[in-house]
Amino acid sequence: MSLLRRSSLRFLARHPGQMALTVAGVALGVAVVVAIDLAIQSAREAFRISTETVAGRATHQVDGGPGGIPDSVFTRLRVELGIRSSAPVVDGHALSPLLPGRALRILGVDPFSEAPFRPYLAPTDGELDVGVLLTEPGSVLLSRETAEALGVAPGNALPVTVGAKSADLRVAGVLTPGPGLGRQGLRDLVLTDVSTAQSLLEIPGHLTRIDLAVPPGEAGDALLSRVRSVLPGGALVRTTGTRTDQMAGMLAAFDLNLTALSLLALVFGMFLIYNAMTFSVVQRRELLGALRAVGVTRREVRDLVLGEALVTGVVGSLLGLALGVLLGRGLVKLVTQTINDLYFVLSVESLTLPVAVLGKAGLLGVAATVLAGVPAIREAVQAPPRASLTRSVVEDRTRRLVPRAAGVGVALGALGGLLLLLPTRSVLVSFGGLFGLLLGMALLTPLATVAFVGLLRPVLFRTVGILGTMAARGVVASLSRTAPAVAALVVAVSVTVGLGTMIASFRGTVVRWLDHTLQADVYLSPPAPMASRAEGALPRGLAERLRDVPGVEGVSTYRGVTVPTEEGEMRLVALELHPRGERAFRFQDGDPSTAFSRFRAGEAVLVSEPFAYRRGLDVGDTVTLRGESGTARLPVAAIFTDYGSDQGVVMMGRVGYDRLFQDRRITSLGFFLAEGVEPEGVMEGLRSRLGEGEAVVMRSNQGLRQASLEVFDRTFAITAVLRALAFTVAFIGVLSALMALQLERGRELGVLRANGLTPGQVWTLVTTQTGVMGAVAGVLAVPAGLVLAAVMIFVVNKRSFGWTLQMEVGPELLLQAVGLAIAGALLAGLLPAWRMSRTSPALALRDE
Amino acid sequence: MTWRRGLPTVGLAALTLAAYLLLASPGDGEREEVRATLNLAEAMGGTDTTGYALALEPRPFVFPVDHGPHPGFRTEWWYVTANLDGDDGRRFGVQFTLFRNALAPEPADSPPPLDWATRQVYMGHLAVTDVAGDGFHESERFTRAAAGLAGGTAEPLRIWMDDWSLTGGGSSDPDAPEAGAVFPLSVRAATERVAVSLDLSPEKPMVLQGDRGLSQKGPQPGNASYYYSFTRMAASGSVTVDGITYPVSGAAWLDREWSTSALSQDQVGWDWFALQLADGRDLMVYRLRRADGGTDPLSEGVLVERDGSTRRLSAREFSLGELGRWESPLDGTLYPSGWRIAVPTEGLDLEVRPVREDQELNVTVRYWEGAVDVMGSDGSGSVSGRGYVELTGYSPPGE
Repeated sequence: MSLLRRSSLRFLARHPGQMALTVAGVALGVAVVVAIDLAIQSAREAFRISTETVAGRATHQVDGGPGGIPDSVFTRLRVELGIRSSAPVVDGHALSPLLPGRALRILGVDPFSEAPFRPYLAPTDGELDVGVLLTEPGSVLLSRETAEALGVAPGNALPVTVGAKSADLRVAGVLTPGPGLGRQGLRDLVLTDVSTAQSLLEIPGHLTRIDLAVPPGEAGDALLSRVRSVLPGGALVRTTGTRTDQMAGMLAAFDLNLTALSLLALVFGMFLIYNAMTFSVVQRRELLGALRAVGVTRREVRDLVLGEALVTGVVGSLLGLALGVLLGRGLVKLVTQTINDLYFVLSVESLTLPVAVLGKAGLLGVAATVLAGVPAIREAVQAPPRASLTRSVVEDRTRRLVPRAAGVGVALGALGGLLLLLPTRSVLVSFGGLFGLLLGMALLTPLATVAFVGLLRPVLFRTVGILGTMAARGVVASLSRTAPAVAALVVAVSVTVGLGTMIASFRGTVVRWLDHTLQADVYLSPPAPMASRAEGALPRGLAERLRDVPGVEGVSTYRGVTVPTEEGEMRLVALELHPRGERAFRFQDGDPSTAFSRFRAGEAVLVSEPFAYRRGLDVGDTVTLRGESGTARLPVAAIFTDYGSDQGVVMMGRVGYDRLFQDRRITSLGFFLAEGVEPEGVMEGLRSRLGEGEAVVMRSNQGLRQASLEVFDRTFAITAVLRALAFTVAFIGVLSALMALQLERGRELGVLRANGLTPGQVWTLVTTQTGVMGAVAGVLAVPAGLVLAAVMIFVVNKRSFGWTLQMEVGPELLLQAVGLAIAGALLAGLLPAWRMSRTSPALALRDE
Repeated sequence: MTWRRGLPTVGLAALTLAAYLLLASPGDGEREEVRATLNLAEAMGGTDTTGYALALEPRPFVFPVDHGPHPGFRTEWWYVTANLDGDDGRRFGVQFTLFRNALAPEPADSPPPLDWATRQVYMGHLAVTDVAGDGFHESERFTRAAAGLAGGTAEPLRIWMDDWSLTGGGSSDPDAPEAGAVFPLSVRAATERVAVSLDLSPEKPMVLQGDRGLSQKGPQPGNASYYYSFTRMAASGSVTVDGITYPVSGAAWLDREWSTSALSQDQVGWDWFALQLADGRDLMVYRLRRADGGTDPLSEGVLVERDGSTRRLSAREFSLGELGRWESPLDGTLYPSGWRIAVPTEGLDLEVRPVREDQELNVTVRYWEGAVDVMGSDGSGSVSGRGYVELTGYSPPGE
């Protein structure tokens, strides 16, 4: 046995490049999986910790409508009902010029109500006087890290903008988190008194929520029903867990899509492993045959190769874990950016390294290696106990396998297609279907390769001559080597085409959507912590001040709020729509002639496509809205196209909103200019009417369009990164397979050289052959890629985010794909061609 | 009995936030508390009286306004103690105190305050001594005087923090403005274990303590409080312990006091006695203890006759002797337990015994306050009575 092991080691030692490629395949695949998983987990963990820190020991929370909960509700809880385990919270976001790009969380609390909830928020600096939170409005406490990030110390001013208002806060002291509470919990948290928070967020007399510590069991239920008895309309009691889960649930589809992409990289890695391991066995056919002839059992051969696979898997996985952690540090920034752009404000302190994630990915890596090694093991075990097995036997067997593989491929593809056709909303099932299709295509590749090469042969003969025919034949003759390489290339390129087409289609759809949805000429909103939507409110009275700026023909007002519902947060927008703004809407369903008038009158709502999809709504169905002034069940007048939020949005006329809610604020304004007026001049005029301390962001139509596309591109940055990574893994696989193939043909080429083939002709032969494979892969990859794109666009995206996209096929992308495949294949032929052309025929034939 | 809280009160006000944040967190397993080294007492500048009103000279009391809060002074309290008997003979002692503390002087020209903005914080103590049930239940809470959560109004009289309150009843009486809209005075307070609901009606007129209501505590001008009392009120209502409600009746005592600065540097605490004798007389005496163990000459007292007439007692006119000691199981602090009080000019020689030794309030700043029995003689015969005793400055402040 030790002799066997030694032979194994010797072989691997003599082929270090091969070993390295296999390990690299495992490592890269595992690295991508780990990196994505870590990035997602870190973001989720950061979200959980931040949420828990802020929620503290609260078991339940009362969330109010857009205007918040009147103070008097809390007073009644305390004074009338004697519920002491309750705490008022005023929660919101601020931006500081001292820390661009990171939103601060304003947490306004009543220190006297805090003991049952957030005792760890106690400041720990000996000299700190907590009383100043009450006695000096504007005093805040920060964690040491946040203070350092902002570059402020106790006693310093902290300039912020909240909504559209700038203010100077004063750092009263520094909070040091206790044991069990990491820095993450206090990251970017600005703790202040509830009165300061109310005045900063401009909600005097209102709380954003009330925290409750409710005992379990009947006593708790009784307490909750007493609480409910004093709540105003629109307020909702939920367990803190429910709300956290609902928020985290918003990320589910996003996470799943990233995970699926990362698994793709692992699948590519498996191709690579499969190739390298099979090749290493093929190279040792004679050795293995000899071993079997001297009495080594099949079992021992199996264990030998399995052992190699395991070692490769373990080494590769370990490297992959290390690489994945490095990669994860970069990806977590991209993931966090996207969450901030699209979902909610989140700041991630650092990459967390849960053992479970690492262990899972490590196991996955080893398992994938062994799985990819199964064909190699089978091949090794089947080596008959004699000195040698001719290559032709292997190739014959491979050729016989081609139709069978194609059959399995068709079956897998059909299964995948079936999964995709299932009337389910499960994104997981969709990805199962997608992977089925992908594998089916890979298995169909050998057959397609044979067919294509048959078609190409005459062409090659006419263009390259006899060498062309030889090259074409060579591809088919060594199908056991070429087919996996071509398949890997097909999969890699088709995924590149598919993702590229999906992103391009998405972008094209969004561009067209922006073109019609951005109707106003100038937009004005408060600086917002989230890129994808306007948050906060404009100063009261600002809209009136700006309406009659010269050049302005009309104004649309926009009020975006988040309303708590039993099903989670609902994004609600109240619009006072200028007639010219109606063109912003493209209805997928609903009658425009009546929808707008009902919408304006507050008799009906318009819902975005993702909202309708998520809640299963059709035109005519009702949406229930609970406001302070009452509850309304309003019919859906139309479903409109919207790519601003995958959570969806409900729009209603301002009149209807004002009937339901007591909130009279405005989030942003859209100005329609008179014919021929330049936006720059009007923006100048608007700016001149701003009061002191009023900070707003003003954008022209083009500016907002540009900014929106920047967010879009940022969102897809991570997809592009993954696409590049997946392609790299696949490309390394193809490179190694082709190089192995050509190196293996050393003797054959030696014979040809001895028979008079010039080094230049060797170049032609080798590069033509790899070029042919590249061309075949490129041609096969185009339809495969388009199928993948269609699936991603029409199934995965719809099911994940509820969006309908228009598919756009860019010819340049397809040409690029074919070019990429050919270039990659040619590149892979360079080293072998160079080596073959330089090798003297005698040397190549020395074995004879 | 008022300034008796002077020293701790400044400390209390100072420690309020930190202490509550740090110490009052209920049994938690998940996260260890941050151990702060806050010294808020210092940070609060307990000796800096700038910006506050001071009790410098006797002033006219105006009722019912003076029943309400005086936010210009740093501290103030509404202090009720009562000895009660249940219908079934079960005996209770009740202490219910609402303290007002200013974290900073009220600004002179303040804009109309926002809903939550305030410099006034209320602290409440409720202690029920359940003699037969062998229980002593104390509780402490803090609430800011904002958003209607805590505060005080004179007309109608209502001092409250959350669901604890002291509320005046009846209609105003121009002939006795200090009593008219005030009585019956309702006490309502509950915790998870006990609840107290009492109505109090005076049986004697109001007593202005010290010099026409100015009670000098330290030799410096301004180290004084404004102080008045209702030394005997009929109390009736109920006491609830662990879900069982006992109808009760008995006698209560109300102290009202407000000040900015009281004790001097060399005064460490006080022993305060409010005794109601069965013959209808009430005796209040306090001893200011000096750091050197001596009695401060500013200690004093008052004797209230059956008809409400009063006689001020100077430190020389009464004597106080300890009969025993009780050791706190919390930290071994030794409190006197049992006293001999003699007022020779009145012929009074009294022995005062706590109804139970363990009546220490384990609150932010610990002190002993409990129901007592009185036995003795007045020269012509034996006297008996009940009362309340407060002992402060024995337990080291803070941690």
